[in-house]
Amino acid sequence: MADPIKLAYFMAVKEGASYLGGMMVTDTSGIPLDFRYTEPITPTRLQTILYGKSLEPHLKEEVIQKTLLKELKTAPDLLILGATELAGGWSGEVRFPVLAVQKTQEQPLARLGDVFRAGPRDLLLQVSEGAAPLRVMFAASVDAAAQEQAAQKLLEAGYHMDLTEPLERVGAALQSLVIKEG
Amino acid sequence: MLGKVRHAVADAAETLRRLFADPVVHEAAAEGFHAMPRVFPPLAGVAHPGLEALAVEAQAMPLVNEALRIHELAPFQARLQAEEGWARWGTEATVLTMTPLRSAGAAGVPVPPLPRRAGSRGYREPIRAPQVRGALEPLGEARTRRLVPALEAGPARPGMEAMRALPVPIPAVDIQRLPKGLWMRYSLQMVRSTGENVRNLEVLGLFHLPRKGVVDLRHDARRGRILVRLGAEAAASPRTPFILVRRRSDGALLSCYLEEA
Repeated sequence: MADPIKLAYFMAVKEGASYLGGMMVTDTSGIPLDFRYTEPITPTRLQTILYGKSLEPHLKEEVIQKTLLKELKTAPDLLILGATELAGGWSGEVRFPVLAVQKTQEQPLARLGDVFRAGPRDLLLQVSEGAAPLRVMFAASVDAAAQEQAAQKLLEAGYHMDLTEPLERVGAALQSLVIKEG
Repeated sequence: MLGKVRHAVADAAETLRRLFADPVVHEAAAEGFHAMPRVFPPLAGVAHPGLEALAVEAQAMPLVNEALRIHELAPFQARLQAEEGWARWGTEATVLTMTPLRSAGAAGVPVPPLPRRAGSRGYREPIRAPQVRGALEPLGEARTRRLVPALEAGPARPGMEAMRALPVPIPAVDIQRLPKGLWMRYSLQMVRSTGENVRNLEVLGLFHLPRKGVVDLRHDARRGRILVRLGAEAAASPRTPFILVRRRSDGALLSCYLEEA
């Protein structure tokens, strides 16, 4: 029997002048298996000046995300980010397929489980009967073969869970932690 | 009386003799001009404080060759002049009227003007490019301070407690896609577990839930899912089919785990 699929959801948020991030690993039912978060990182004024515009991407991709991945108990099969962060040109983790999942208003595909390639890095997945397909965007480091494999895993998980919802949960957990620690 | 005449004649004779006598010629050898060589004292350089003193080089001025030339004066040449007066003396007397000396008749001798300034001789030293001397104190090495701008995150914290406080949405399984035999078995188990007539039960959904660790459960009828809060043991617990039904008679919600086939 194949190992159960594990999905890692990553989100980093800015609260005031601080950055913090969280990563949750779920099974294919969306049930959390692990959740880690970083303490808020507050860049100094000098760091803010020296890093400039690259401060936020660097913090999210190189500092927060790598720290969280290093601390996870089990390696995920897929790393799922917010669409905005992926669209900004993700250059972080390359060990796992990095992707973003988005709901669409597109017409449903013909059959459940159908995959439509909308672009070199974009796929449409029909994960539930009669509903609008999900749009999956992959990072530049994911080649076409890896995209196909990732799409099959997403279809399998999407049968049991809402693939877009766990990211909202990570955001809500981070907010509650910020309030708690603040 | 005779004596006076004799004297007068003698004076006249003397006068005539001096008048027509040859000029006296003196030969004289003029001495040459000697130029006295002069040695100019060397220029004295004054060193100004803070600047490098100028190097003074004494140079002897070369003598001007032209100044050493000695011009010898040419001796006067005597020349005999013929005078016709003697010839005319015996035939006619000529009364000579001596014109008095007048100042207006003096010929003016132009005096050459003195030079306004002495001309310089010799050759000019070519202008040498000034030597550049570094007089600045070398700057001391700047001290560098090391400030590592690297951003580092602290160790990641486990946050499962915070995550478990949030409800997990579990979508319902599409019953229409289940094999008919399996659904019949599930229905039978549902009737047996609830003790209700199957006609009094409305199926709200079939879900896959952890067998253990479900702390709280709410039904989201609008989206056809349930929201569950899970305990720590839920993660390791196997997923089991779970059916949620409503009793038609009173609207109460009933639920039970179903045995896997």
